Amino acid sequence: MSGSGEAEPKVLPEGILAELRALTAHYPQKRGALLPILNRLQEWRGHLAPVDMRLAGELTGVAPADVFSVVTFYTMYRQRPAGRFPLGVCRNIACWINGSEQIVATVKDELGIAPGETTADGRFSLEEVECLGSCGTGPCLEIDSRYFENLTPDKVRALLARLSRADGDRSAAILAAQREERA
Amino acid sequence: MKTYLSNEFARRDPLLLVEAQAKGRYQQAKRVFTSLTPEQVVDEVKNAGLRGRGGAWFPTGIKWSFMPKELKGPSYLVINADEGEPGTFKDRQIMEKDPHLLLEGIMIGSFAIRAQTAFLYIRGEYLTAHDALATAIAELEAAGILGDSAFGSGRPMRIVLHRGAGAYICGEETALLNSLEGRRGEPRPKPPFPAVWGAFGRPTSVNNVETLANVPAILERGAAWFKTMGTAQAPGHLLFGVSGAVERPGCYELPLGTTARELVEKHAGGVKGGKKMRAFIPGGASTGFLPPDRLDVPMDPESLRKEGTMLGTGGIIVIPEGIEIVDAARVFSRFFRHETCGQCSPCREGSAWSDQVIGRFQNGEGRAEDFALLEDIMRGSKQRTICVFPEAFAGPLGSAIKHFRSELTQVSAQRAVGRAATEGTALHG
Ligand SMILES: Cc1cc2nc3c(=O)[nH]c(=O)nc-3n(C[C@H](O)[C@H](O)[C@H](O)COP(=O)(O)O)c2cc1C
Ligand code: SF4
Ligand code: FES
Repeated sequence: MSGSGEAEPKVLPEGILAELRALTAHYPQKRGALLPILNRLQEWRGHLAPVDMRLAGELTGVAPADVFSVVTFYTMYRQRPAGRFPLGVCRNIACWINGSEQIVATVKDELGIAPGETTADGRFSLEEVECLGSCGTGPCLEIDSRYFENLTPDKVRALLARLSRADGDRSAAILAAQREERA
Repeated sequence: MKTYLSNEFARRDPLLLVEAQAKGRYQQAKRVFTSLTPEQVVDEVKNAGLRGRGGAWFPTGIKWSFMPKELKGPSYLVINADEGEPGTFKDRQIMEKDPHLLLEGIMIGSFAIRAQTAFLYIRGEYLTAHDALATAIAELEAAGILGDSAFGSGRPMRIVLHRGAGAYICGEETALLNSLEGRRGEPRPKPPFPAVWGAFGRPTSVNNVETLANVPAILERGAAWFKTMGTAQAPGHLLFGVSGAVERPGCYELPLGTTARELVEKHAGGVKGGKKMRAFIPGGASTGFLPPDRLDVPMDPESLRKEGTMLGTGGIIVIPEGIEIVDAARVFSRFFRHETCGQCSPCREGSAWSDQVIGRFQNGEGRAEDFALLEDIMRGSKQRTICVFPEAFAGPLGSAIKHFRSELTQVSAQRAVGRAATEGTALHG
C-alpha cells in the first residue's frame, strides 16, 4: 500500500503496541480484537491512517482489504484528521425537540463552521450524530465520546472558550472541560 | 414504592465494590456459584416470568433453556449494551451508576447457561459507562470474585469488556455477534440461532443489560415476589424513559403496566411549559406515534400490541404542539435510512425511498397517492430480509399515516402555499 499513511511522522509508542498485542489474548479468535485495536489506534492518532489499519490487520490476521471494509462500516472511524476537538451534536428526536438546531447554530456563530467542516486552525470540527442515549438530558454533544448534556447556547459558548485555551493532552482537556461543566 | 433497579441512580459516581458488598451485593452470585445448579437458576428465572428488556420481550428463562447442557468446548453469554434506539437511555444509567448490579446479573446468567466467559458489548460512545465497568471488573478480579475460581467454587469466570464503534444496527443480536468477532456489523441469517451458532461459532445467549440487572433480585427474593409486580404476562419493574417536551425528563422505575399518562403527567411533570401534547411515542423510535387520547394505555407488551404498536424499550418521547408530525417523522426516516446495513435491497431501497416520500410532505409536495405509495414501500421492504429492521422503520411511518393522515396532508398543503409565496417573491422581487 502506498499513500500518505507512509509519510505519517508519528511513531507508535512501544507501550501502546504492547497494549494492542495483549488485547488479542482476550478472544478465542484474534480477530475479535480488531475493533478494540482500531479504537485504541484512533484514540492515539485522532484518525486511522493506512499504517494503522495495516498494523491492526497484522495483529489480528485479517487481510488489509477486509480491515478497510470493517473501518468503512462504523460511524466512529475516521480516515482523515478531524479537528483536535471533534464536536458531535445529536440531531435525533429528543435533542431536536429541545433545541439541538440552536446548538449547531451557536457553534456556527462562534466558530464559523457548519456540520462536516473544520476550523482553519484545526482546533474544532463539527458533525451531527444520531441518538447518543442522552435523550433525557438533551440537547447533548460528544467530544471523543465524552458527553456534554443539558446544553444551552451559553453553555456551548463557555465550553468553546475553554477548549480554545486548552493545550497539552487532548483527552485530559476534554475531561477537565466535562468536570467544569458538571460542577 | 420499593425499587430494585434504580436505587443508586441519584449518585454522581459509580457505586464501588466495597460499598456494593456492604449493601449485600454478590451474595446471590456467591450462593449460585457455591450451592445451586444451572437448572435451578434457569427454573427460578423461568418461573419469575422475566422477559427480555432489549425490545423483543422474549422470556429469558426459556432463552437460557435452549443452551446445550452437554458441552464440548466453550459457550458464551453476550451482553447487549449497544443501546441506540432513539428515546432510550436506561442501560446507560445502570452501567454508569451501578455497574455491579449488572455484573452480578452477568455472573448469575453465565452460570445458568454454563458459560465461563461473558462478552459485554458496549456501544463505542458510552465511554464513561465503559470506564465505570472497567473499574468494577478490575475490583472483582482483585477480590478473586472473577478469575480462576469464582467465590472459591473451582469454577472459572471472566468478563471481557468490548467497545463497539458506532452503528445502530449492531444492537440487533446477530449483527452484534459479527461486530464482536471483528466483522462488519451485519445481521446474520437465522437459523442457525445464537444458541446453536453464536459468538465465534459457539453456543451463545445474548441478553440485554436491564434484563440481567433484574436477575439478582429474582434470586434473592424469589419468583413469587417478582410476579407480584407488573402484569400477569409481563411481571416486574421497567426503567421507563421519558424524554422530549416534558418538565422532568428522566428514567423512572415503575411496574410494567403503568399508564403512559402516569409516567408523563405525574412523574415527568407533564408537557413542558404547560403546552398541549401533539403525540407521544411509547417505546423508542420504532414504536411510532400515538395520539394523546391513548395516554391511558398501560405500558406493557400486550396492551401496546392491542394499540397496533409495541412496548419496545419503554422510552416514551413527548411531542408538543408546535412540532409537526411530518417533521418528527422525517427525523426518524433520515435516521433509519442512515442506519440500514444495506445487505438486503428491499430494506436498503425502502428506507431511502420512504425518506424521500416523507421529505415531499415536509416540503409541501405531498400527493394524495403518496399514502398508498408509502404503504406499498413498507410492505415491500419487509419481504425476504435478514432481520426485522424494516418493521422498525415502518413504525413511525405507518403510525403517522394511521393517526395523523389529515394533518400530513394539511401541513403539506400549507407549506406548498408558503413555497409558492417565497418562490413568487424570488421571481418578482
Ligand atoms: C434493529 C434492531 C436494533 C436493536 N437494538 C438493540 C439494542 O440496542 N439493545 C438491546 O438490548 N437489544 C436490541 N435489539 C434486540 C436484540 O436483537 C435482542 O433481541 C436482545 O439483545 C435480546 O436481549 P433480551 O432478550 O434480554 O431483550 C435490537 C433489535 C433490532 C432488530
Ligand atoms: S433487513 Fe435491513 S438492516 Fe436487516 S440485514 Fe437486511 S439490510 Fe440490514
Ligand atoms: S435523541 Fe439525542 S441523545 Fe437521544
